[in-house]
Amino acid sequence: MNFAFLRDAPPRSNGRSVAVIGAGPSGLAATGFLAGLGYKVRVFDKLPKAGGLMVFGIPAERIPEQSIAAGVKRLEQDFGVEFKLRTKICGSDAMHEDTGDHFSSDLTSLGELTRDHDAVIICTGSWRPRKMNIPGEDLPGVYSGLEFLFPIRAAGYDSQKLKAVDVTDKTVLVIGAGFSAVDVALAAQAHGAAQVKMLYRRTRHEAPCGIHDVCTMEDAGCEMAELVTPVRVLGTDRVTGVEVVQCQLGEPDASGRRCSLPDSCAKAEMDADIVVAAIGEIAAPPFAEELGLDKVRKNEVHWLHMTKLPGVFVAGDALTGPSKIGKAVYSGLKAAKSLAAWLSLKAEDREDEYSDDEVITPQDWHSGPLETPAAKGSE
Amino acid sequence: MAGHKTIYIDYSRCIGCETCEAVCRFTHGLPRVNMTRAKDGVMMPLYCRHCETPYCVRACPRGALLKGREGEVLLEPALCEGCETKNCLLACPYGGIFMTMMTEAMVKCDLCLSRRAVGLGPACVEMCPCGAMFYADPDEIAELHTDFAQAAEKRVLAHIRPKVK
Ligand SMILES: Cc1cc2nc3c(=O)[nH]c(=O)nc-3n(C[C@H](O)[C@H](O)[C@H](O)COP(=O)(O)OP(=O)(O)OC[C@H]3O[C@@H](n4cnc5c(N)ncnc54)[C@H](O)[C@@H]3O)c2cc1C
Repeated sequence: MNFAFLRDAPPRSNGRSVAVIGAGPSGLAATGFLAGLGYKVRVFDKLPKAGGLMVFGIPAERIPEQSIAAGVKRLEQDFGVEFKLRTKICGSDAMHEDTGDHFSSDLTSLGELTRDHDAVIICTGSWRPRKMNIPGEDLPGVYSGLEFLFPIRAAGYDSQKLKAVDVTDKTVLVIGAGFSAVDVALAAQAHGAAQVKMLYRRTRHEAPCGIHDVCTMEDAGCEMAELVTPVRVLGTDRVTGVEVVQCQLGEPDASGRRCSLPDSCAKAEMDADIVVAAIGEIAAPPFAEELGLDKVRKNEVHWLHMTKLPGVFVAGDALTGPSKIGKAVYSGLKAAKSLAAWLSLKAEDREDEYSDDEVITPQDWHSGPLETPAAKGSE
Repeated sequence: MAGHKTIYIDYSRCIGCETCEAVCRFTHGLPRVNMTRAKDGVMMPLYCRHCETPYCVRACPRGALLKGREGEVLLEPALCEGCETKNCLLACPYGGIFMTMMTEAMVKCDLCLSRRAVGLGPACVEMCPCGAMFYADPDEIAELHTDFAQAAEKRVLAHIRPKVK
């Protein structure tokens, strides 16, 4: 991944410096853009390796590690980018709250970064486990998707501190039917689980991962329980199962998706040694409130790249919640461009001309925005 | 010389992450490689193959699609203006030409013409995280087009050219 794809060699320094917090696809794309304009870029990440979820979340067989490593090396060696790894940037929140915090040996505050750089971009992704809001979900043996997948990838970097969840001969229930639920199911199966079952409140035809992935998963030996919603995690000192209610499909809503209607009379219990709620993570960037980020989330109509703090920008999943590598890359590039424009205007005392109020068009959110014969279904 | 270089996507390595589309959009405004999700969830980036003898060039009633100096298929927007026939769109066997319903009526890949002019390769290829994209000559492409890649491409093309009953 050649993050500095806009140039074949770095230009002369422009004398400005930027701190990028988070070395996932959005942070690295922003870094490549700015380094290509002659900025001195410093990248901070709490983990021991750059790449974000491309290295620590997405299963290894899907993205070749050297693809990311080569891009990072080029930034470092050819474009003079400094990487400060194992360094967590803190806001008002305490340490050790998010998945992957154990790796940081150094703490730096956002305040320090804004003092030492002309601008800062926050690209910290979306790492905080989301709750199912059902009783028993805090029992040992219950994990979020990332809590389960992260140690599998990260154990390779520090096996002292992190061990993958032992699923050998165990029954694993995976809640959800998105792409990361499929990743969890396949990983559990591959690591020797006795039984892996995915629970979804609709049917395979509505599954966000698509029927193709459901089939792949079943071919690998996993099962899918359709039309069930978990209402309680069972167990006293650790999880022993999940109580589910049977659902049925309602009429299609405005978006054409059929909702799931629980039938509270039809309860059932399913045994489990491990439960993984792969229902997505939430973004928790440092200083979220102070930066006014709580108000900018998915489906808002404007890109917000500069936060309430002048010179502090935000991009990627930290801004939008869980998305995709491509969306994060685009967001990182746009934020970096916006940052460069702001600094150039500031240098001429023309900040009031800065506007990041670019309206998000449907094209920015949906893939395949343009009409293609395939999309139209003609031959 | 083994013929001109073009973009090749190994669909068996593609994970549908949309990075190619994002980078193309950032570089060109309107993306010329488009990630499309088929009904069964298969993700497929659609793109121009810059064919040796392109159907689209033959189909265009205005001569707005032309073979470039390096074998690439180029669209001259001033001649095109999104004519009423949309023949190019229908003629392309790969779904590699896109209608925008915006000022530039149709868009297609030009293998990053202006980047190539300064010695760079197509931007999407540079940024693909999966090593699924290549800028390669026909001999190299023949080697990349493994049984695995062919099977994956067949799945994609089945969506673009559904069987007519
Ligand atoms: C299991 C799983 C599978 C996925 N599969 C796919 C897929 O197949 N295709 C696809 O397109 N997308 C996939 N995604 C989504 C994709 O990985 C993300 O959308 C993308 O990585 C987001 O990029 P980002 O740069 O915004 O954040 P991230 O990749 O999350 O990177 C954020 C970085 O910031 C660092 N960080 C966070 N907080 C701090 C702090 N306070 N101080 C210092 N550093 C910090 C983190 O360590 C991390 O390195 C998947 C996600 C998961 C979880």
